[in-house]
Amino acid sequence: MKRVTTMLVVLVLALSISLPVMASVPGELLIWSDGERAPILNEVAKQFVIEYGVTVRIQELPFGDIRDNLAIVAPTGEGPDLIVGAHDWLGQLVTDGLIDPIDVDDESLFLESGLEAFTWGGQRYGIPYAIEAIGLIYNKDLAGEDGFQSFEEMIELGTKLRDEGKYALVMPQPDPYHTFPFFSILGGYVFGMDADGVLDPLDVGLANDGAVEGFELFEYLMDERIMARATPYDTMMSLFQNGNAAGMITGPWAFNDVRSAGIDYGFQQIPSYKGQYGRPFLGAQGFMMSAFSENKMLANLFLNEFVATKDTMLAIYEGDPRPTAFLPAADIINEDPDMRGVMESAAEGIPMPAIPAMNAVWTAWSDALELVINQQSAPRPAIENAVQLIIQTIEDSGY
Amino acid sequence: MGKIIKGAFLGIVNVVFIWIALYLLGAEAYLVFVLLLLGALLTNVIFLLPRAYPYRYLLPAAFFMVLLVVYPIVYTVYISITNYGTGNILNKEQVVAQFESKYTLEPNSDSFAFQTYRDPQGDLWFLFTDSLGGQLVGHDGELTHLREDDPLLRQLAGYTELSRVDLVRATNELSSQSFAYDDTHELRMRNINAFNLYLQQYSYDRERDVLLEVQTGIVYTPEDGYFRAPDGTHLTPGFRAVVGFGNFRRLFGNPQITGPFVSVFIWTIQWALLSVGTTFVVGLFLAILLNDPYLRLRKVYRSLLILPYAIPAFISALIWRGLFNTDLGIINQILQATIGSSVPWLQDPFWAKVALIILNLWLGFPYMMIICLGALQSISAEMYEAAVVDGATAWQQFRHITLPLLMVSVAPLLISSFSFNFNNFSVIYLLTRGRPPIVGAQTPAGHTDILISYTYRLAFESGRGIDYGLASAVTLVIFLITGAITFFNFRFTGALEDVNKNV
Repeated sequence: MKRVTTMLVVLVLALSISLPVMASVPGELLIWSDGERAPILNEVAKQFVIEYGVTVRIQELPFGDIRDNLAIVAPTGEGPDLIVGAHDWLGQLVTDGLIDPIDVDDESLFLESGLEAFTWGGQRYGIPYAIEAIGLIYNKDLAGEDGFQSFEEMIELGTKLRDEGKYALVMPQPDPYHTFPFFSILGGYVFGMDADGVLDPLDVGLANDGAVEGFELFEYLMDERIMARATPYDTMMSLFQNGNAAGMITGPWAFNDVRSAGIDYGFQQIPSYKGQYGRPFLGAQGFMMSAFSENKMLANLFLNEFVATKDTMLAIYEGDPRPTAFLPAADIINEDPDMRGVMESAAEGIPMPAIPAMNAVWTAWSDALELVINQQSAPRPAIENAVQLIIQTIEDSGY
Repeated sequence: MGKIIKGAFLGIVNVVFIWIALYLLGAEAYLVFVLLLLGALLTNVIFLLPRAYPYRYLLPAAFFMVLLVVYPIVYTVYISITNYGTGNILNKEQVVAQFESKYTLEPNSDSFAFQTYRDPQGDLWFLFTDSLGGQLVGHDGELTHLREDDPLLRQLAGYTELSRVDLVRATNELSSQSFAYDDTHELRMRNINAFNLYLQQYSYDRERDVLLEVQTGIVYTPEDGYFRAPDGTHLTPGFRAVVGFGNFRRLFGNPQITGPFVSVFIWTIQWALLSVGTTFVVGLFLAILLNDPYLRLRKVYRSLLILPYAIPAFISALIWRGLFNTDLGIINQILQATIGSSVPWLQDPFWAKVALIILNLWLGFPYMMIICLGALQSISAEMYEAAVVDGATAWQQFRHITLPLLMVSVAPLLISSFSFNFNNFSVIYLLTRGRPPIVGAQTPAGHTDILISYTYRLAFESGRGIDYGLASAVTLVIFLITGAITFFNFRFTGALEDVNKNV
């Protein structure tokens, strides 16, 4: 008998402990943020409490984990209301039914291309805080004060640097994202647009004549040792930091590493080839709203009134300098020459397709790059085979 | 005293059970919940019934085996016959709920400013004002057009008006309100400042299990995880659905998937054999050297040789990746300086495999050395004395005494090492990521991919995005293969029996 009483007591105790854990919390916002944005959001959250008495909790996750965790956690009802993320997640998150559109109160506050990047089927799925595009960081001691006008110029310098055991160019390999300018430079594209301006997943333009010619330039640069071969990101970075490379194709995230190595550098857009400029992908980062949020209206309010403000956007910039997508803050941020360079490069940018068919592109494309980097295939057959696979995969999955 | 401890222990266990159970209920994981409940019930029965007492030692093992081994296997089997993956993450009820809650903003419609009041019963009343100054009162889903000096206005004045802060705190309550404006339109909250006219996009017919697009009248029927229109187009998101053997058909029916699967499978076997073989040979050799009592500084050597084992594999693998770099790695620089040519370590399929074996040798030989050292200690010195008396050479001693006696205790470890390397994901992934790629493969597959890394790439990096269904199908195939290999290994080497005899 005694035993039973003990157990009952324990049971009641357990119930009282566990119930609050289970309860979902309407009326309280939860934001999943990466480490760079979390401290700033915490400050904004404090203001929100003061103004409206509504709690905003920030949970910190590695940037790259946010998307995958959302897919696992959100459907169970334990997920966040808002997430920080990149625009190219959009395709997957929307097709999975994990995010909902956001009502942007005043669209004129944002850079058009930043908002466009977060648009899907005519609806806005995110509020952008930063845009980014890759370009060329150059070492002024090797490449001169103004960097490179053209790839022709780079080849000329490269043949001289080669004798000193240095490279004119380094870039992460194999990496389709960073290699795209070679494809776009003479007219390659990932997906074509149909008459309505909607991306057509079955029109893949990575193996058209312009794309192949650009890809052949990529191969030529490696064959002539003007560009280092098969360099992963860290190897590429150490080559540049040690002054063994005149130029490096990368994005704003590399500035800190380059600066810390004491290199006198500049940032420019991708050089021209045969008179045409290589166009990078344009990327954007922003806030998105979970489709399973129980506080959608509140989350919208938080974004429109507390995040889309000059103070918050400047704070986000200071925490992690990237060109802003928020126009009222742009003047201040663009005083920085690095940021101006990235903005100029972004002006040439093509929004990275965010349709789910893009998933099929990355792997096959990366494999094609690798075959050429490894000298196992010529550019044309490698990329033609890849495009064939991409189209096949897309058709198979019935997009 | 014993009883109190037992009672307390059982209490704690029950608390944990209940806590997990409630969590599972919240997460709607009913199957695990039922399993857990059964486990909890059994635990209590066994502890409280004196007759069931002996089973208490067996129970935790059985319980955890069901939870951590049997359940995942059953779940994997289930996933392998579904389309779970990108585009089909949610379950059907969730998807239907999403479609039902989709509203489109009526374009060019008026926006209604609103004031909100709470009556003494706590119910909400709304006073809407359109851009022309026309006013409506909304309460309990119904709208009333106001005439001048409507008594309703006076009634509202008697209620408490919500301030902006109150409105923000009550947003969830407000946004759940909707008022039928006319036959098709609903007045719903757009933001904290306005209500707007919305059209419902879809309605779900529970009887017929179809989704109806309200404006166009198109009927969508659920099929293979999507709501499909008669013309074959489908709505996103899709939902999780059982697709039968579709994933297995994809795996075995498509040469562009089967091709890489077979070559991946062959390399997996080679990899596991070579990994065990090389590390064992080197480990045994070093163990015999270190076992020599005339060797000076044995302890120093032993400590030094164990170092690669002590350094986390993640760090070693990444360092080796740098060493193997074709243009800049130290290995190629040395080769270039000495023999005048370099090796495309991570680019050529053959050399990438060699690089992996070298790395795994580095990571794995200390383990083999340690177990061999231990096993060597247990071989009695008298045998060797007898052999020397009989005139045996060193090789004969090794061949006929050391190796057979060593194998008795080491063989089961070699088999488990084989199984471990069969699924040694981290080494592959850290050094080559399965690369270089296999030309023409439709799934992401590389020459150095072993089955488990191939599965990982299928699951998380496939053309479709995430593809848990296909990955689970591959996992099952791997499970059957490793299961069979291990079974035959133990069966025909008699490894377990020997251990039993000697222990």
